[in-house]
Amino acid sequence: MVLVAFLGLSAISLNNAFKSSAETAQQQRLHNYVMTILTAAELTDTGDLLMPEKLLEQKFSIPNSGLYAQITSGDRIVWQSPSSIGLFLALPFHPGPSVEQYSIIDLHNGMKLSNLAFGVVWENDKGEQFDYTINVAEDQLMLEAQTANFQRNLWYWLGGTGIMLLIAQWLILRWSLRPLTGAAKDLHAIETGKHARLTGEYPMELQQLTQNINNLLDHEQNRRVRYKNSLADLAHSLKTPLAVLRSELENSQDFQHFKTIGQEQLQRINQLVDYQLQRAATEGKSNLLAPVSLGEIIHKIISSLNKVYQAKKIHCQFEIERDAYMHADEGDMYELLGNLLENAYKYGRQRVNIVVLSQYQQITIRIEDDGNGIPLLASEDIIKRGRRFDSQVEGHGLGLAIVSDIIDAYEGSIKLEKSYLGGACFIICLPDQ
Amino acid sequence: MRILLIEDEIALREQIAQQLRAQNLTVDAVADGEEGLFMGSEYPYDVAIIDLGLPRLSGIEVIQQLREQGFKYPILILTARGRWQDKVEGLEAGADDYLVKPFHFEELSARLNALARRASGWANATLRCGPIELNPSSQQVFLQQSIVELTAYEYRLLHFLMLHAGEVISKTELTDHIYEMDQDRDSNVIEVFVKRLRGKLDPDKSLNPIETLRGRGYRLTLPRD
Repeated sequence: MVLVAFLGLSAISLNNAFKSSAETAQQQRLHNYVMTILTAAELTDTGDLLMPEKLLEQKFSIPNSGLYAQITSGDRIVWQSPSSIGLFLALPFHPGPSVEQYSIIDLHNGMKLSNLAFGVVWENDKGEQFDYTINVAEDQLMLEAQTANFQRNLWYWLGGTGIMLLIAQWLILRWSLRPLTGAAKDLHAIETGKHARLTGEYPMELQQLTQNINNLLDHEQNRRVRYKNSLADLAHSLKTPLAVLRSELENSQDFQHFKTIGQEQLQRINQLVDYQLQRAATEGKSNLLAPVSLGEIIHKIISSLNKVYQAKKIHCQFEIERDAYMHADEGDMYELLGNLLENAYKYGRQRVNIVVLSQYQQITIRIEDDGNGIPLLASEDIIKRGRRFDSQVEGHGLGLAIVSDIIDAYEGSIKLEKSYLGGACFIICLPDQ
Repeated sequence: MRILLIEDEIALREQIAQQLRAQNLTVDAVADGEEGLFMGSEYPYDVAIIDLGLPRLSGIEVIQQLREQGFKYPILILTARGRWQDKVEGLEAGADDYLVKPFHFEELSARLNALARRASGWANATLRCGPIELNPSSQQVFLQQSIVELTAYEYRLLHFLMLHAGEVISKTELTDHIYEMDQDRDSNVIEVFVKRLRGKLDPDKSLNPIETLRGRGYRLTLPRD
């Protein structure tokens, strides 16, 4: 649209410019003819005008050639060019000495002429003055023909260019938008379930976008899988305590015994629900998540724990890198650090040390306490058990299972060592790019 | 010890209130945040138990506003969602401890007693003043290791005096902390309770555990152990 409007406007302005320049050129031409006639004319002593048979310009001699000349003096025609015989060109008037007057004349036979009237005052030897008016007229048709010709050319060229430009534009747009059309098709394929992610090859400029869409899709996919797994796990793991309860209900004679069993199984059901709920709520790794400050989260958790474990008067020492930020869900990080730190507070006697390092796009977190520690043999078991939390592990149970799941969701690793403080030392590595 | 309980689930609220009363604690139970805030700023409490998911005004807001108004009594939050982010948010708002639902009542009771103790500067679970010993979890009182039988109100009175051992407590304060809001109260009864307590805790009048300060109130004079 813009292109068409632009071309139209430029055509109009070009046309106007040409018209006015053609008119100027015509006036100049007419002026030249007047000069030619002036030089050719000779004045006798009596004040009569002598004109040569033939003028330099051929057109003056050919009838209806479109170029006419006439010299008037007073109200009589003194001379007229052979071309203008039978035509009455101009009303006899004298515009004044050496004054040019340009006019358009409509003749009664329908001809339209551009006329230049030029006033001359000649003096003979005796000092008598004679007024003459030289009229040179050119048929307007010539000018119009010229303009029309120009206009035609102009429209051909501009129109041609416009169409070419439009075609080129359309082609470029089509070519450059083709990857987007491809992406739209791909997305549609994902929508209908034909593909899991964007598979096509995309130009550099689009790769950032498609990569992000793929990340988002993967993230969602992982989360869906987690939801499904935790739902299935929940259903399965609930079956055991339910079965125990049922058989107790059917067989138990002793109410006190039944009460104990019931309590135990309820506790277990509750833990299973908590754990699977937590697992399903885990966001997991994604580059699209905003970076969260681990230092801030740790400080908040520690001040909370200091309140809750006030009586223990734990001395907590930090060493947290200032730029320890991670692209992660804030809730996940709270859960991960909260569980680990609470364990440290729970099992530690007086001291808890926390170190957070951020190096080579990897976050390393060390949390150690001065408690009794976990027997190293059992450590593997404790961490692994977390991966499939079926039976209650003493003490470090549910919290560590959740921690282990979150670390899995962020593709990190967890290690348990003996701390130089005497207690457990958990080392967590989380990749972050 | 007077406790404010804000919990919107009727069954749970009734259950907790009943069990707390069975432990000889004074309990005001309300169902929504606005009422809870009103009660919490109107009556003197020793501990508040506040559920986080409350109608009209969330638990967090209640805690924040209570703290803004300058109330310092300990607050225990109850939450159905065990997410750490929620716990931290609650503790940051001014709560002192949290408990994730569902919980054992023993756990709640232990946390409550610990909070009340901490707030009044006691370190151990059992309160000991000279030869007198009070165990809040079993609500038993011992004098020289032998059990003393107290009525519910005598126990409440002694519990409060022992929590604030060494401080002067006015009669109004005592009434406020041992009666629930819609119970008939008569500050003259306090005198009767104190007299009976003295009789039971100091049969041979050698200990003089509770001092009367005329016009000001009472004070438990025995040193804290």
